[in-house]
Amino acid sequence: MNPFEFEFMQRAFVACVAIAAVAPLVGSFIVQRGQSLVGDGMGHVAFAGVGLAFLVGAEPVLGALAFTALAGLLLVRMGRAGLAGDLAIALIFYGGIAVGYLFSSQANAGQTQLVGLLFGSPLNLTWPEVWVIVGLAVVVLLLTVVLYPKLVAMAFDEQAARVAGVPTDRMVMALTLMVALVVVGGMSSIGLLLISAMMVVPVAAAAQLASSYRGALVLASAIGGASAVVGLLASYYLNYAPGSAIVLVAIAGYIATTAWRALAHTAAASSG
Amino acid sequence: MTSSGLTPLDFDAVSFAYGRAPVLSDVSLSVHQGEFVAVVGSNGSGKTTLMKLGLGLLEPSAGRVRLFGHDVASFRQWWQLGYVPQRAAASSALPVSVEEVVVSGLAARSRLFRRRPPEVVARIDHVVDLLGLDRVRRTRMSELSGGQQQRALIARALVSGPKLLVLDEPTTGVDGEARSVLRESLQHLVEVEGMAVVYVSHDPEGFSGLAQRVVEVVDGRIVTQDERPTSHQVAAG
Repeated sequence: MNPFEFEFMQRAFVACVAIAAVAPLVGSFIVQRGQSLVGDGMGHVAFAGVGLAFLVGAEPVLGALAFTALAGLLLVRMGRAGLAGDLAIALIFYGGIAVGYLFSSQANAGQTQLVGLLFGSPLNLTWPEVWVIVGLAVVVLLLTVVLYPKLVAMAFDEQAARVAGVPTDRMVMALTLMVALVVVGGMSSIGLLLISAMMVVPVAAAAQLASSYRGALVLASAIGGASAVVGLLASYYLNYAPGSAIVLVAIAGYIATTAWRALAHTAAASSG
Repeated sequence: MTSSGLTPLDFDAVSFAYGRAPVLSDVSLSVHQGEFVAVVGSNGSGKTTLMKLGLGLLEPSAGRVRLFGHDVASFRQWWQLGYVPQRAAASSALPVSVEEVVVSGLAARSRLFRRRPPEVVARIDHVVDLLGLDRVRRTRMSELSGGQQQRALIARALVSGPKLLVLDEPTTGVDGEARSVLRESLQHLVEVEGMAVVYVSHDPEGFSGLAQRVVEVVDGRIVTQDERPTSHQVAAG
């Protein structure tokens, strides 16, 4: 049976493709800054926001957005003050997941609901939830387009970008906000603990094939979107958990592109 | 306000300390338009700190740093300043073309949905050609030699048409041929384009015959300012 005949699958495809396609756009910049795991940490912090939202009866998206934005600001300020060491960041991130579970258990949130947030439950999304995710993805896309030259200059060399007049502090702030938007957008669809993989893995896959930054960005976005489609199809036909399936497809894409590049190099070496 | 005629870089009784550890003490130095100044010193002498203060990457604990007559803290005409780091900061896994690196030097002045003006396109072509990068323009940086990568970084620094170029150990890990291209390019920039150049290095070979003044930094103080004729001046006179 065609999965697209079902409205719950249509909703899952729209939400997952939208967020999986923009996640690598943000990821490409954080990977270059050596912050591949910042999305993972932001997911932990978002969980605290969701827990508080459960406790006070607010929208989980709003709680996650508020907490990730605050954590982002805090991280940037700590970075400026030279306090953003491994331990400080770990305290914020692990504190986030601990507080999130504490609030959630106090609010008597169901285990199914919590697992859905941590590992994604795109098949349970409503259309309003889908449009919120699409809206967040569009904001991330627009920010990427508008800030692209400055973010790229910073990705190449932050000091040189600063000397060239790029307002690097503001760009770091904007980038942190973009990470927060992706995490919140990916929360219900791919999962708080899995969405950061979609910021990193398609970027690593695209880097194997592209010869320019712009090309890598477009390719990473395509790999992210395609991973969502293939992952959801696998989830439909094989009854796999959708969030996990999407991330595993992306990882398979990375392995395939790495193997392809190695083969191409070997072929070039033997012909030369 | 135009900055033509103003001293490109001026340190006035500058001191700097990392915490309580003094790094520079009471340093005064001016670099004038069309002048090539080499700053030498051993590791830990303070020469890199001096360069970072001049670029506005650090704030002095005492004294003033001026760029084109403006205090560095309020300086906004960054296009007048070009900076060449020791090596590319980005990971070699970064899929970035030479042209993208060069154009990133214009990031601060880029405008959304506006085509680059012809004079900017011409400037990009000029620096790519000047540094001998035309054939590798669309090649991934990681596929270039160390010398070619360094030339791409210099092209990035030059693309905004700066009046002051600061180079930090630019010949580290660079082969002989690339060194000679770099020397020719720097000679052209100073003698033809009238640029001020600050060349920070521990290796005199990179600037011998080019530097009009060699400034030696020892334990955070300038101990000698050696005026010397360039190879061009020797040949002319």
